[in-house]
Formats: sequence, structure tokens, C-alpha cells
Amino acid sequence: MNEPFINAKHRVLRRTVRAFCLEELGPIAAEIDQEARFPWEVVEKMGPLGYFGIQAPKELGGAGLDAMSYAIIIEEVSRVSGSIGLCLSVHNSVALYPILAFGTAEQHQRWVPDLASGRRIGAFCLTEPNVGSDASAISATALPAEDHWLVNANKVFVTNGGIADVCLIFARTDPQAGRRGISVVVAERGIKGFVVGDLEDLCGMRANPVSSIRLYDCRVPKENLLGRLGQGLAIGLAALDTGRIGIAAQALGIAQAALDEAIRYANQRQQFGVPLARHQAIQMMIADMATQVDAARMMVYRAAMLKDQGAPVSRAAAQAKLFASEAACLVTDLAVQIHGGYGYSKAYAVERYYRDARVTRIYEGTSEVHRMVIAREVLG
Amino acid sequence: MSLHCIVCIKSVVREAPQGIGRRTPENSELNPYDRPAVEAALRLKELTGGRVTALSMGPEVGSEALAETQAMGVDEAILVNDPALAGSDTLVTSRVLAAAVRRAAPFDLILFGTRTSDSDTGQVGPQTATVLGIPFLGGVKKIDQKLEQKLGQQSGHWEMKRQMDDWEENWAVAFPAAVTIHPRAFKPRPIPLIGIAQAHDPLDVKTWGLADIGVPIEEVGLQGSPTRVAQLEKLKRGRTCRMLEGEPQAQVEALIAHLKTMGVMAS
Repeated sequence: MNEPFINAKHRVLRRTVRAFCLEELGPIAAEIDQEARFPWEVVEKMGPLGYFGIQAPKELGGAGLDAMSYAIIIEEVSRVSGSIGLCLSVHNSVALYPILAFGTAEQHQRWVPDLASGRRIGAFCLTEPNVGSDASAISATALPAEDHWLVNANKVFVTNGGIADVCLIFARTDPQAGRRGISVVVAERGIKGFVVGDLEDLCGMRANPVSSIRLYDCRVPKENLLGRLGQGLAIGLAALDTGRIGIAAQALGIAQAALDEAIRYANQRQQFGVPLARHQAIQMMIADMATQVDAARMMVYRAAMLKDQGAPVSRAAAQAKLFASEAACLVTDLAVQIHGGYGYSKAYAVERYYRDARVTRIYEGTSEVHRMVIAREVLG
Repeated sequence: MSLHCIVCIKSVVREAPQGIGRRTPENSELNPYDRPAVEAALRLKELTGGRVTALSMGPEVGSEALAETQAMGVDEAILVNDPALAGSDTLVTSRVLAAAVRRAAPFDLILFGTRTSDSDTGQVGPQTATVLGIPFLGGVKKIDQKLEQKLGQQSGHWEMKRQMDDWEENWAVAFPAAVTIHPRAFKPRPIPLIGIAQAHDPLDVKTWGLADIGVPIEEVGLQGSPTRVAQLEKLKRGRTCRMLEGEPQAQVEALIAHLKTMGVMAS
């Protein structure tokens, strides 16, 4: 089938990333999930190859690729390991992208080359124990003092938290100004008062070191303010708009992996004297799964294409994220069903896909928040 | 001495649905046996300097495979593409490649994969060397450049190791030469994403037609080819299962005897 949206470059990228991930991540994907271990040995190879600076400009050490390439790369990495797809998605789209989009030339020089080459890892610190979807209610503060910001923050569920060197902290720089008093300061790991909390023991995405990050009276240099004072929520929303394409692509990759496994198993497993694939009940499931994956892919690629054209992308990205994450949960659930008892066992990969898929409906905006965004766009 | 290596590559068909190899971008890829040849050329370049050219004959889709070699680090890519070439057999392919190599000359080494994953003849490498009248070695695992000063002139030769079945042979080979690279000898490097971006923005593959390489139209395609594929048929191999009985020792002996009869195990 000829695919719309993609060109020769994207095809080469897809083959290249797939081959690399199957060779490097394939053999360890189950193990790093079970041991909740971040595979530095592979990540250190991915850095010089450009996986940590997919859309960053070449002059700053990035690969200089487009949003479609980004979606395809995240899809293919997530097809093998959701956890590493997550690491790349967050690093590229909600840590590196806001620095590129809102940072000064001096900030670009200071942070981008190290981030784009994977020498340093980025994180996005918005969520707090009592603040999830309502980002405007954060209580972290970054108060102006002599030559620095005095930052106090308790950020939780920080993807890449355990390994992050460059953290975007959303905090109130003017506690009296409400939504307009929120800004972003960049805190670097290692400064006094910067504490990485225990790693979360998660249901899925276990190879990603998700942790809390807490800042106690941290002195962050004045020049680490990203964007303008009070621009925090706008930066967050812009980052999440981009991030949605990444999470949608990630959900798509996981769904594709589950479909692949289900097809393989349905052709091989015999019941009632014939392969499962000959039973109509299984055929119906496979047909639904393939249709969901196909539709998700078209939506993800369309959103990426719009982004590359510079067209408004909020609605398309929100729809792609909503649909692909819901599809991933449905498809991985059916893949487990087709595998029967074995699907519920760690002997087969589908239970991992099932666990990994679940959070794609929650993070970087829940399905419900996405429906709000879409409804607002549709209803005007 | 800085070298000019030419790697001849093919864009192969991944799956042939009804036995007909119709090439589309979606089902084409760089022949996996060519990747070690590209890698060997790039390592030689790293050691000695110089440049690497990738050369391919085939339809337009071949430019994607060529761009992939550029993403690996190849300096220049050339596609010999002409509608008249459709249906060419391996002899015509070799003559066309040889003509293109002459145009790309001077060169020091031509590298090929040992075979292709779609038509799998293994003929194009040795045939091209024959057409060019240069030395050829197949299944090469190691290549070293040896230089000496003679009467103030720098000259040299290749020292190569090749593997045939269970034997390794060491050869001294004169410049220029042609080789096929042993599939497991040079593990291809992972392709950097920035390499892919640079190879495509913009795509920089030269296209040569028959006129550019001076090959007459009547000598190529089906009419110029002494051989042609009349029909392709997928073979189904019947599998049989034979249960061995008796004590384990007796079963092992029976199994070994059977494997020897099949020629799978040496006696």
C-alpha cells in the first residue's frame, strides 16, 4: 500500500530507526522493563546518532529533521521500547523544543548542543502533588532576589527525572499575579538544594526513571529565565502542543507492536484443529485492531504534516493524541485477549504493551483534557 | 595515497507478491549484502583519505538506496537510469556498470556485495571486473593498502584476505582491483539521523543515461541480454517428521547416521 504523507527521507529513516532499535533495544526491552533499568549502554549510542536532537538545527548539533521525521522516529522506537520512546519524546518536545522556541541565542549556545547530542538529558517539571490538569494552580515559587531566582518547588511524575540534567521548572515569579505570574526557569542538576526524589514504581514505562524533583531554596541564576516573565503557561501550552504529536506517535508505535504480535500468534497458535486466525472471532479482532492502527497513523502523520507546513496544529495534534492513545489501549487489550492466558504472562511481550499503553491516555494531557481542547476548537 | 573507491549497490525488492518483482518505493531497500561493502569502503577512506562513490543501475527508486549510502558517509552517488535498461540481465548490468566506472575513473578499488537478496546470482561483481579487465577477488574479509617508493615514484598494491568455505587465502593484488566483500566481515555502522537529513535536503544523486556512459541502446535491455528470466515459481519444500525410537544412545546413533547420509554432518 502506498502511504500518503511520507517521502523517501521518511522511508529511509523508518528503516534505519527500526533496524537500530531491533538490534540494540529489542534484546533488552523486556529486561529493562522488569528491572526498571534505564539502558545507558544504548542511550549513549543514540546520542551521537542524533536521537536526542531530532528537530534541533544542525548548527546547534541537532539532526535538523522535520516533525514528520520526529513522529516516525518516536513511533519506531516506541514499537520496540515504550520507555525509551517516552524518554526521547519528552526530551525532544517538551524540554529541548521550548528552549529552542523561547530561549535567547545565549541560552541556545549554553544548553542546546549538550541536549541535542544526548550528553545531557532534559525534563519538563510542571505537575505537582496537588496539581495535574489545572496547571495554573501550581504552588512552586521562583522569587526574585539579588542576582538569582530563589526557587522552591515540589514537582512529581517527572519523566526522565532520575537522569535529567536540565529541568524546566514552572513556578510563580509573581504570586499575586495569578495565571500571569507563572514563568519558566531552567534549573540544572547539581545546584545546591536540587533534590532528585525516589524513582516511581510504575505500572508501565518502567525503564524510564520517572521521579520527583524538589528544589529547596535553590538559587537559579537570573539569566536562566526562559522566555518572558509571566509567559510560563503559554510556554507550557506550546510545548504540550508539540509534545502531543510525540505521545500520539508513541501510542501508535505501541499499538503497532501489539498488532504485529497478535498477527504472529494468531497464525501460529492452534485451537480446535486450526490456527486462531481461522476463527472468525479472532479475525474480527484483528480487523478492528488493524483499522485502529491505520486510522491512528493517518491522524498522527497528518498532525505532523500540518506542523511542517506551519499550519495551526492544536486541534489535529489533540485529536491524534486522543485517538492514538485510546486506540493503543484497545489494540493492546485485544492483543492480550488473542494471546489468552499467555497474554497475561510475562513470557509474551503483549502484557508489557498493555501496561505501557495505559499511561498514554493520562500524560501530557489526559483524554478528557484533550476532549476539552478539541471541543473548544470545534465549537469556537 | 588518497583513494577513490567505487561501491556498486542495488536497490532490491523486499517481497515479490506473485513471483513478479515489481519495484515500488515501499518495497525496495538497499541490498543488505551491499552494506558491508559500503562499510569497507568508508573504513578505507577513514584510514587513507580520499573519497567514496556509490554507483547503481536501475529505476528511479534506486536513488533512495543511494541516498542511504550517502547517509552512511558516501561522498557521491550516481544512478545509471534509462528506460531502455529494463529487462537487462547480469551481463548487460555488468557492462553498463563497467562503462559508468570508466566515466567515474580514475579509481583504485571497486567494491560489491557478494550477492543480492532478491535475484541472488552473485554474478555482477566478477563480471564487471572481467569487462574492465582488472583483478578480482571474491569474499574479501580484510583489505590493506601497501605502498612503496620505487625510483621516486609512489606505487603500491593491495594485501587482501578472503574466505572461501573453510579456507582463508591471503593475496597481493595490483591497483586497481575489484572485490566482493564477505557479508560478515564489515559490520555496517548505524546510520546517523543527521546523515539522513543531509542526504535528502536536498537529494543529491547524479543521474546518468546511456548516452552519458556511451553504451548503445541496442546493447541493453531485453534485446541486448543473452539470458532472461522466463518464469518465477515459488517452491514449497515438504517437511517430514520422523520419530526415532529406542534408548537415547541408539536414538543419537540413528540421528547421526541419518545426518551423515543427508550430507549435513561430515563423517
